[in-house]
Amino acid sequence: MGSSGNSISLSSLLCEEGEGSFLEDDENTSIDSLYNNNPSFVLDDEEEEEYIEYLLKQETGFGSQRTHHVLSSDHDHHHDCSNRFWLKSARLDAIHWIFNTQAKFGFKVHTAYLSVTYFDQFLSKRSIDESKPWAIQLLSVACLSLAAKMEEQNVPPLSEYPIEERRFESKVIKNMELLILATLEWKMGSPTPFHYLHYFMSKLCPGSRPETIITKATEHIVAMVKDINLMDQRPSIIASAAVLAAFDATLTRNAMDHMISAISSWGNIESGHVFSCYNLIQEKKRNKVKTPSSNLMSNHSGSTCVVENSFDTSSGTKRKLAFDDNEHCPRQKLHQP
Amino acid sequence: MGDGSASGNRSSSNKPEWLQQYDLIGKIGEGTYGLVFLARIKSQTNRGKSIAIKKFKQSKDGDGVSPTAIREIMLLREITHENVVKLVNVHINHTDMSLYLAFDYAEHDLYEIIRHHRDKVNHSINQYTVKSLLWQLLNGLNYLHSNWIIHRDLKPSNILVMGDGEEHGVVKIADFGLARIYQAPLKPLSENGVVVTIWYRAPELLLGAKHYTSAVDMWAVGCIFAELLTLKPLFQGAEVKATPNPFQLDQLDKIFKVLGHPTLDKWPSLANLPHWQQDVQHIQGHKYDNTSLSNVVHLSPKSPAFDLLSKMLEYDPRKRITAAQALEHEYFKMEPQPGRNALVPCQPGETFVNYPTRPVDTTTDFEGTTNLQPPQPVSSGAVSGNMPGGHMSSRSNPRPMNVVGMQRMPHQAMQAYNLASQAGMGPGMNPGGIPMQRGVPQAHQQQQLRRKDQMGMPGYPPQQKSRRL
Repeated sequence: MGSSGNSISLSSLLCEEGEGSFLEDDENTSIDSLYNNNPSFVLDDEEEEEYIEYLLKQETGFGSQRTHHVLSSDHDHHHDCSNRFWLKSARLDAIHWIFNTQAKFGFKVHTAYLSVTYFDQFLSKRSIDESKPWAIQLLSVACLSLAAKMEEQNVPPLSEYPIEERRFESKVIKNMELLILATLEWKMGSPTPFHYLHYFMSKLCPGSRPETIITKATEHIVAMVKDINLMDQRPSIIASAAVLAAFDATLTRNAMDHMISAISSWGNIESGHVFSCYNLIQEKKRNKVKTPSSNLMSNHSGSTCVVENSFDTSSGTKRKLAFDDNEHCPRQKLHQP
Repeated sequence: MGDGSASGNRSSSNKPEWLQQYDLIGKIGEGTYGLVFLARIKSQTNRGKSIAIKKFKQSKDGDGVSPTAIREIMLLREITHENVVKLVNVHINHTDMSLYLAFDYAEHDLYEIIRHHRDKVNHSINQYTVKSLLWQLLNGLNYLHSNWIIHRDLKPSNILVMGDGEEHGVVKIADFGLARIYQAPLKPLSENGVVVTIWYRAPELLLGAKHYTSAVDMWAVGCIFAELLTLKPLFQGAEVKATPNPFQLDQLDKIFKVLGHPTLDKWPSLANLPHWQQDVQHIQGHKYDNTSLSNVVHLSPKSPAFDLLSKMLEYDPRKRITAAQALEHEYFKMEPQPGRNALVPCQPGETFVNYPTRPVDTTTDFEGTTNLQPPQPVSSGAVSGNMPGGHMSSRSNPRPMNVVGMQRMPHQAMQAYNLASQAGMGPGMNPGGIPMQRGVPQAHQQQQLRRKDQMGMPGYPPQQKSRRL
């Protein structure tokens, strides 16, 4: 089926990729792990256009939909600051663990990315504080195992997830999975930038070698995970900025606006968001030697530093996690309304 | 009804909070994924409303929450359509962290309706009913496909039809355990011990296609359409039982016999399909030229029904008719026009059939274990003698699933239920006050049907635009 006409399988293009590393400290990840050789769906051009429209509609809950809180109220300002700092570094550790484990199991990069999406979504609805560092680890394991169940053909048993400091009983991880599922209201299929790569590549840089663009864009996307809360930026914006950065590192705002206007299904997207995301990528390339957690995004409108947003406790919607070391499961009501 | 659940005799304080909102009636199905129960809502607002509760089999703790459950719930929570089964609630049982899904209950399914006609009524399903069932099935499928969901496991037992009530005769597509959004990876259908019947499987899948589309669901609809017409599965191949994903030569052969041999002319990408390439001797060896589909389904080759059917059974998935196109087909514009209540024709004078209600095993509680209560020696003895709860799924039963993915209870077992409910009819024999499905006098049901008949269902089918979220 796949060979005839102008049909393009989203994955077939990506299967023959060479190697490319996505994290500085991780040499073994190949592009194969991005899409494997999974059977996939065939979309012709028209269908792909419709599919992208569908995905864009599914993006609610990301980016502009979220209110950006200013700093928290005064009364526990001090506590917040220290907790935010703690969470920021805990998140980086979590991301590090997630991508290493993804490589170890041979999962797709997409799977790791999706689990960070779950991670950020979870923490936008519930908070974990400094006194429960293990809860972050438990959250990381459960997010990755959930993402693997959504995306991978072969999912290892929970006991095989490599956790250094503390071993969680499988039952505990399962309970955490359920807590995440309930907290995210079972919306586990949110779009990620990877769903858009092929489309933007064909629209924004026709004629380029797809393998090169995809490999580079993937690196950019993974690098950004550390710096932006994935709830704060729409996946399509991250994808387009990454593809554009992979295509041409010297774009001006005007040139970019012109290119973006070619994408009809996108409607009136704020190209400013794409541009600031693009700039973040360029900055990161320049600062590659520096610490990856540098606060680059704070200068740009539209994308906000991870920590500022995600751990702002002034929003009344968050509930404290009732984690208790003596208990295996948080006593939260998981009932759906 | 009072506290009329089967487990209501036990101290209700043991019941988890979520369960206390239901009266459990009994078990209605069992399968690979778990058990299905019939229950009724206790609360004032929807008092007495029937609910099907699907309990996922407890996965090993070592695996965490089952991927099937995650996918099914994720999809079901996103979709709302009259012709798709409605997920009312998701419950997590805190003591053992098991998952329960509460659905609107549907009394019938196409498997039972077809079987009833074949074995009991001895005449075919009337044209109005066939057309209405098919139209609604396509309408639900068009909605799913517009939302980039492929069902992948359509078959008569997964197509539910609502019983008596406001939605009487409305089709509901069920069992999304294998369904998926386009972007998700595909597992071989036979993996994880999941039993999937091959009779409705599209030829591209049988030939090992690496890519597939929503056209696989349309093939299944074609097979179901033919089955509604003839009361027999169209392509009843013998399944090769092996793992993983064995090549199903007999199934393909059954298809070729009826539709003729596929050719590269008609299906150009055939050459790329793994099994077509590999099995030159068997698949490419036979030649069936005389197509006999019209004879098999007893339709004139010139009739619109035949035209629609043959477009659904088009070999090349790219040329196969889509759900949206099928809804616009001439067949649905001719008399009799499809209606909302598929089971009751609007035309006066048409006969309609009273379909039997689903058998309920009232001896099984939510844990899936046979309930030792009530202690009445007669009824419980009779039931457990014939029908020990644990033995149902071990029977060799060639037809795989029913309602929300459950194995249908063997026919023999149903008699046991009859027995049980009759035994329970007398006062004192039914201490739980369990409502008896099968004891409902038919006259009452017919009256209601006639009343609705007179009201008619104006303006149906509704607009045929594909809905999007």
